[in-house]
Amino acid sequence: MKNGKFLIAPLLLWLGIFFAIPLLIVVVVSFAGRTPYGQVIFNWTLENYVRFFEPLYLSIFADTLWVAVLTTVFTIILGYPLAYYIAQLPKKWQQPGLILVMIPFWINFLIRSFAWVIILRSQGVLNTLLIKLGFITAPLQLLYNDTAVMVGMVYSLLPFMVLPIYVSLEQLDRRLLEAAYDLGATPFTAFRKITLPLTLSGISEGTILVFISSLGMFIVPEIMGGAKAALVGNLIQNQFLSARNWPFGSALSIVLAILSLVLITIYYKALAAGKGGGKDA
Amino acid sequence: MKKLFILLSALLVLAVAGCGGDSKQSTSGGEPQVLNLYSWADNFDPAVIEKFEKTYNCRVNYDVFANNEELLAKIQAGGALYDVIQPSDYMVTTMRKLGLLEELDKKALPNTQNLVADLRSPSFDPEGKHSVVYAWGITGIIYNKKYVKEIPETWSALWKPEYRGRVILLNDNREVIGMALKKHGRSNNSTDPAAVKEAVDDLKQLAPHVLAFDTDTIKQKFIAEEAWIGTIWSGDASFVYKENKDVAFLVPKEGTTIWADTLAIPKGAKHKELAHKFINFLYDPKISAQNYEYIGYSDPNEKAVPYHSKEYNDDPILKVGAAAIASGEWLTDIGPALPMYDRYWTELKTGK
Repeated sequence: MKNGKFLIAPLLLWLGIFFAIPLLIVVVVSFAGRTPYGQVIFNWTLENYVRFFEPLYLSIFADTLWVAVLTTVFTIILGYPLAYYIAQLPKKWQQPGLILVMIPFWINFLIRSFAWVIILRSQGVLNTLLIKLGFITAPLQLLYNDTAVMVGMVYSLLPFMVLPIYVSLEQLDRRLLEAAYDLGATPFTAFRKITLPLTLSGISEGTILVFISSLGMFIVPEIMGGAKAALVGNLIQNQFLSARNWPFGSALSIVLAILSLVLITIYYKALAAGKGGGKDA
Repeated sequence: MKKLFILLSALLVLAVAGCGGDSKQSTSGGEPQVLNLYSWADNFDPAVIEKFEKTYNCRVNYDVFANNEELLAKIQAGGALYDVIQPSDYMVTTMRKLGLLEELDKKALPNTQNLVADLRSPSFDPEGKHSVVYAWGITGIIYNKKYVKEIPETWSALWKPEYRGRVILLNDNREVIGMALKKHGRSNNSTDPAAVKEAVDDLKQLAPHVLAFDTDTIKQKFIAEEAWIGTIWSGDASFVYKENKDVAFLVPKEGTTIWADTLAIPKGAKHKELAHKFINFLYDPKISAQNYEYIGYSDPNEKAVPYHSKEYNDDPILKVGAAAIASGEWLTDIGPALPMYDRYWTELKTGK
């Protein structure tokens, strides 16, 4: 027992230095004020949190939540079939399939975003191709709008959905499906009654990963959205840079973190309730 | 995002600078002095830095920052780490007010007399006590002659309905709100709430026409003709022109914003003498010419003209910029009005 505690000490130290202390600093700064030239002064005020409740900032939070929900839904719609397909492959092809999903992660995210710009811009790969093939005569405006932001978000976060779903599919006991078929279930019924409920844990893990990541996203709106759609991430970034208002930026970060925690808690509660209800029935 | 991009290039620069330093140490005897330089990425011709190292038997340690706020934070946390820094115009005001800059010893900087007169007493440091203008540029309109048939002589050209969806504005609140203030005949440093509101209301009409707000990748957007018209810094416009001869650049007659990166010495710098030598070295006409050919911005050094290539001296866009210096107004730190600007900026971005 004692040895175990000793072994965990470096980890606790690591978390303390690189997680707890910075977080504490953010909390402290969020109750501070600023001088006209942007220096932080510790005059203990709630004004940064009060300011959050102005309609302007509330609406940015609402927009961000909506984008995060949409991103999550789209990654499930696209990610589930992909994970299902990979899990169905013969064993020796599953590993390469997963590696293909993960390869983009070896390349810096910023560079991948610029790659999307090159594909989608008016003289880009896609427009040129469509014009050459005669489908369109003038280039389509595919970039710098909300759709482009959504494409970028779904693209960048898709692997976070695919991997947990794949894991849950892989652990699925195939004998249950065989039993279902033996009892006369159609493939769709078998999927709905067995595969889907048993892989719900994968979907919910993926949902948490994608949802939380998209709440803090600011690179995609900046590059693919033409910096027009301001999400919370962009707002926070602005407070630390051009607005030189660290206290307000810190307060926004704390609100975002609390909001994430609350939503996750509600989500897990709902999930647990759903499962409980299922067992009762 | 853009910061990462700059950091990446910074790493490259550091790697290059590091290699140069190491190879030299083996040839020269004794411990060479180190000049700690904190600047923007790619702001010097590496060969110029190498020449300085050889001439003064020292080593230049080149660190980079991505924006003025990063510089300010670092200097406040302990500026004595650096000997030469490069704050932009308004940040010079801020740093002077916060007492973060050493007074420059003009006697040690005879070459700075080569600066063009218009850049010698900028409003952010009127007596040039703490800073010398290094790189400078001016904000104007860039447009592609293929799509924009009428010469956009005033800022209001950006508002024309036929350019809807093809307009780019700089991704910077002071630049954009400053432009609209100029359009209405005001100072781009106005802190009068009514004047700023009038400018912002006008910009809200323009916002739906905007393709993107961009400063870092704006050049690509004009080279690839994604955008037809927009606001841009003269140095970037010159870069675009080299790749796409259909673009033109002009400075509207209502006036505009002029900016500069300066050279300054932070309070408590450890190698002040070497820092002065470095600053003076950069204004040597020959060195200056070599340096600006590499950076591609307008050379503020009057005496450097004969040492520049014909191509550089004939660059039509740099000429337009240089001719318009007098119509430019420096941005100063607006201090207490900054939150108002930031709030309007957020409103503009979100369309609310």
